[in-house]
Amino acid sequence: MKTPALSIENLTIRYPGYKHTAIKSVSFTVKKNSIAALIGPNGSGKTTIIKAILGLVDYEGAIKVFGEPVNKMYKKIGYVPQKFNFDQTFPISVYDFMSLVLYAKPKNQTIRQINKVLKYVEASDIINQRLSDLSGGQLQRVLLARALVHDPELLLLDEPEAGVDVGGEQTFYDLLEKLVEDKKITAIVASHELDIVYAYANQVVCINKRMFCEGVPNEVLTQEMFEQLYGRGLKFYGHTHIRHHKK
Amino acid sequence: MQRAIIGGILTAGLTSWIGILVVLRRSSFFGDAIAHASLTGVALGLLFNVNPILAATIYAIFISFMLPYLQKHSELPIDSLLGFLLPFSMAIGVILLAFIPGYQPELISFLFGSVLAIGWTDIYIIASLVVVATITMLVLKRKLIFASFDSEYAKISGIKVEKIDILYHILLATIIVAGIKLVGIVLVNALLVIPASTVRLFANSLKQMFILTPILAIFATVVGLVLSYLLNIPPGPAIAVMSGTMFLLGVFVKKIVA
Repeated sequence: MKTPALSIENLTIRYPGYKHTAIKSVSFTVKKNSIAALIGPNGSGKTTIIKAILGLVDYEGAIKVFGEPVNKMYKKIGYVPQKFNFDQTFPISVYDFMSLVLYAKPKNQTIRQINKVLKYVEASDIINQRLSDLSGGQLQRVLLARALVHDPELLLLDEPEAGVDVGGEQTFYDLLEKLVEDKKITAIVASHELDIVYAYANQVVCINKRMFCEGVPNEVLTQEMFEQLYGRGLKFYGHTHIRHHKK
Repeated sequence: MQRAIIGGILTAGLTSWIGILVVLRRSSFFGDAIAHASLTGVALGLLFNVNPILAATIYAIFISFMLPYLQKHSELPIDSLLGFLLPFSMAIGVILLAFIPGYQPELISFLFGSVLAIGWTDIYIIASLVVVATITMLVLKRKLIFASFDSEYAKISGIKVEKIDILYHILLATIIVAGIKLVGIVLVNALLVIPASTVRLFANSLKQMFILTPILAIFATVVGLVLSYLLNIPPGPAIAVMSGTMFLLGVFVKKIVA
């Protein structure tokens, strides 16, 4: 059996000061060179799982990346956060923003690497613009470029469609799909957009504090599973409203 | 006056430089609280015949470590803790000063600065701080900026953010105390926060921030000192008013240009 890109075993997470567990006994694996989607309602623990993989929260259980304990593999992981933890209005250019990640590299290598990755995400023209002057779609590309600037093999994206319009969202996921094909990386996306999951993900993991389902989107996303995950009475439309179904 | 201008230029450049990181961290009130709290250090120094600036530096460093500790154990937001610390520590300082017999002219000079009374020893101390802070900033500039701008991503990218934060807090506390000699405890934020806030209105990159902020702070300090000499007004407040006026002008100019 091939080594998976990510394997999570019995992941349990408790936040200090909270009685309830945020995540209880979650286990799943993600194949190399694929797109996996984490789905679930707000507060279900999707972001918490991503933060555990990144070492930002304490957890019980085991997380391995390409067969190695995750704490040895952070350099191979790229991350596109859901929320900005920085002051977006601060006068910082796209180049400055990305160069921070390459803090240990010499300047000429930093410039080369940033130019290469901005060209790939088709954002070379905004290299000197201030972050605060970018549109939602441009900012999302820059965040993706920052996540790619150190050539990761595993990419974690936390609701990357937030703040992007429908057209921008599809362009972004087309780019992500191209990236997985070209660079042979693995992407794990936390998302609310079930049509996007249908169109682009090879695998879906349903989370609501614990694991509800795992498998190919067409097979596991049923009306019954939808009600279990999001609550009774909600109608699941499957992939009937998908903008361009690719599977 | 010559010593005042040399001391003023050094202090303004240094304080405004670290002020960029303060603004990046959105923690302007943090610097203010440390400055106010350092009055206790000044009082302890005067009470026990230790150099008040040295005592204030040690106390300010102590406070800058206490705050993250209190935040972790109280689970309260930092602004609540700063709201506690500022009056609490300043009041302790005033009470301690009451135990020193006789009139305390130094209290006013620490509250509002005494740059005209600056001696060569003070200038040597501030110049040494400038050298240490400049070397630290040059060596660790990218890490300090990254940890200040986006601490979560810095951590993911392999930076030991906790260690960088300790270094930042030591630098900040030390530089704030150096700034007290120039503009005083009450007005030190005029050099710490206002120049960086003014420059951020117009700058397009970090490079511009790091070049223009000290220039603006030094300009406000020199003009403030000259005005204080010509008009016979207190120098600390003159510098603070000059710095604040430039900020207001910046806001108006930006509004007109936009």
